[in-house]
Amino acid sequence: MGSPFDINGGACVAMVGKDCVAIACDLRLGMQALTISNNFPKIFNYAPSTYLGLTGLATDVNTVSDLFRYKVNMYRLREERHIAPQTLANLVSSSLYEKRFGPFFVSPVLAGINQTTGKPFICGFDSIGCIDFAKDFIVSGTASDQLFGTCEGLWEPDLGPEDLFETISQALLSAVDRDALSGWGAQVYIIEKDKVTQRLLKGRQD
Amino acid sequence: MASLMDHQARGETIGYSFSEHTAAGVKQHGFYPYTDNGGSTLGITGSDFAILAGDTRSTSGYNINSRMVPKVFKIGGDDETGEGANILLSVVGFAADGNALKERLDAVVKMYKYQHGKPMSVSACAQRLSTILYQKRFFPYYVHAILAGLDEEGKGALYSYDPVGSYEREQCRAAGAAASLIMPFLDNQVNFKNQYIPGSGEGHALEAKKPEPLPQETVKALVRDAFTSAVERHIEVGDNLQMMIITKDGIQEVYHPLKKD
Amino acid sequence: MDKIVAQYSRSAHQNEFYSEQEQQDLTESLPPLSLKFALPPVDNSSAFLRAMTDDHANPSCPIKLAHGTTTLAFRFQGGIIVCTDSRATAGNWIASQTVKKVIPVSRLSRGEDKATNDPTPGLLGTMAGGAADCQYWLRYLSQQCTLHEIRHKRRITVAAASKILANLTYAYKGYGLSMGTMLAGVTPQEGPALYYIDSDGTRLPGNLFCVGSGQTFAYGVLDANYRYDLSEQEALDLGRRAILAAMHRDAYSGGFINCYHVKEEGWVHHGFDDMNPIFWKTKLDRGEFSNVTSEL
Repeated sequence: MGSPFDINGGACVAMVGKDCVAIACDLRLGMQALTISNNFPKIFNYAPSTYLGLTGLATDVNTVSDLFRYKVNMYRLREERHIAPQTLANLVSSSLYEKRFGPFFVSPVLAGINQTTGKPFICGFDSIGCIDFAKDFIVSGTASDQLFGTCEGLWEPDLGPEDLFETISQALLSAVDRDALSGWGAQVYIIEKDKVTQRLLKGRQD
Repeated sequence: MASLMDHQARGETIGYSFSEHTAAGVKQHGFYPYTDNGGSTLGITGSDFAILAGDTRSTSGYNINSRMVPKVFKIGGDDETGEGANILLSVVGFAADGNALKERLDAVVKMYKYQHGKPMSVSACAQRLSTILYQKRFFPYYVHAILAGLDEEGKGALYSYDPVGSYEREQCRAAGAAASLIMPFLDNQVNFKNQYIPGSGEGHALEAKKPEPLPQETVKALVRDAFTSAVERHIEVGDNLQMMIITKDGIQEVYHPLKKD
Repeated sequence: MDKIVAQYSRSAHQNEFYSEQEQQDLTESLPPLSLKFALPPVDNSSAFLRAMTDDHANPSCPIKLAHGTTTLAFRFQGGIIVCTDSRATAGNWIASQTVKKVIPVSRLSRGEDKATNDPTPGLLGTMAGGAADCQYWLRYLSQQCTLHEIRHKRRITVAAASKILANLTYAYKGYGLSMGTMLAGVTPQEGPALYYIDSDGTRLPGNLFCVGSGQTFAYGVLDANYRYDLSEQEALDLGRRAILAAMHRDAYSGGFINCYHVKEEGWVHHGFDDMNPIFWKTKLDRGEFSNVTSEL
């Protein structure tokens, strides 16, 4: 049996543009070589402009996404406001570190726009909650090497929403086509200050 | 100390330190003859040229052995500068095996030229390299080789190999440590994978963009882009970019600096 | 102590020059596809090889070899259909999407793909398992078949050719070769003949075989729709459809669908086509693969 991170497969990427951010994931759920489902989105919504992508072991993806739904709902009830991306980042980090010696096998990616400042924000985490702040892009999943290559080659600063959509889509699709364990379609969210666009991409089905 | 020089003491069997013959069931010492020297290579062909490129860093583990170890070689040249060669070989993986392989192929190609009075064709050389690699099927050369040249029609030809000699002619190929970073970028930019022709239709009717041979300047720019990207995200790639361009006029070799961190 | 000293004190230069054999290899004008292989200087060479190259037993092995495949071949009234995917994987990394997994076993000069649609004489072999093992040994088999043709003024039978290969894999049993290959050919003596040979030394004649990581998916489609009296077009479509199913569900299969038809005059190539447009056409036009959404 391989690493728990590689059993189900999956890839996720987030990118910063000019006054916008994008986050995208593939749709595969597999058990090693066998593809079980073509409809397993890995991005979850926690506030109007705050999204969290989770790759890794599928059971932990479900558990962790539900756990944060619970925690974010509790936050909203207490504070009577939506959670900011930065706040969620720290919540994710501390929640993952609680399981320091028996971690969830997930690598989260967070993307959002801070409604107070209007600034885009993205960050990534390892499975025990170390935050990786980035100004350009964050990748995770079984195709992370490939995503590093395509993102580093295609991304440039200050892309508008449409260009950012094209860039993240090309980066994700090209990367997952070189990874056996991810692909089978993709989902993209383009997040602007007061608008979120969700798109489904037609990917290779092999 | 005398015994060190004493050849008689060797006995009948030539002993490697690791091949000590022990009684059955006794654990044998680990035999690990390979080192990964890192680095990456990349080849792209066009209608009348082929480009082979590689970085010049040599690593072992987290150490940098050297910042100037070329990975691309001319094969079958008349002298040590490789003048008169018509085939390029790049090797990445274990540098010692790579060097041995290069020497071997160079000797074979030269012998071919002396015996037949004409240079070896790239397709023949490609098949020969495959057999050379396969001869060591049970003790492989730890290398990923790429062979480049011009075919009989003058078109760019590129052959890529796995360590034990399975090979395939391709348009572009990245090998080595950063292959997984470079290759998907190349799929997208050279073979236009996942690119569609804008306005050619709606939804499923969109037409895919067809790959076509790229001009030399575009390819050179792509190679440089691919390597600057790889350097950013891979610790085993960097220092200098060595590029060899083979056309009907011969081989041109250029170096570009890369980040040295 | 003396023993250790003795071991380290061998002359450092004794292997400096090419051995006699190596010199011969270099100077002979026709290098043989020989059966001499370098072995590592350890007691158990196959264990060494496995430690270095078998990513199943050791995921962090240094030398990743290309693996993973779906190939199929079946006999029908019009000859034999041979279909393969084209993906090569090393671990989860897709090393290539354009591998030619059907290898012509015929006079080498005729083995090249031609532009014309005339049948090319000879047999076909398929490639599953180690790419290099299949390429090398099928080339070796071509050489033997050509020699047979020259010696006997008659084309070799598929039975004989498959036996050469099976004897070979049996002789190398335990050395760590990895190949699962099918040999297909139509000869006057045998009619359409199909054999499965693998690196364990197995050699089986049969009507229908699927080999590789996606074999079960291909068998599923093939067994449901296979009849001996299929027409040529039906047979080709069935082969393609079975490969398509395997590519879809098996992570280690994919890329292009490669299709061949073997007849008595020789084999005919029926395309090397990207699976993606074929998949969407099958889905949208015929309503299959309803598990995949087409809403964009």
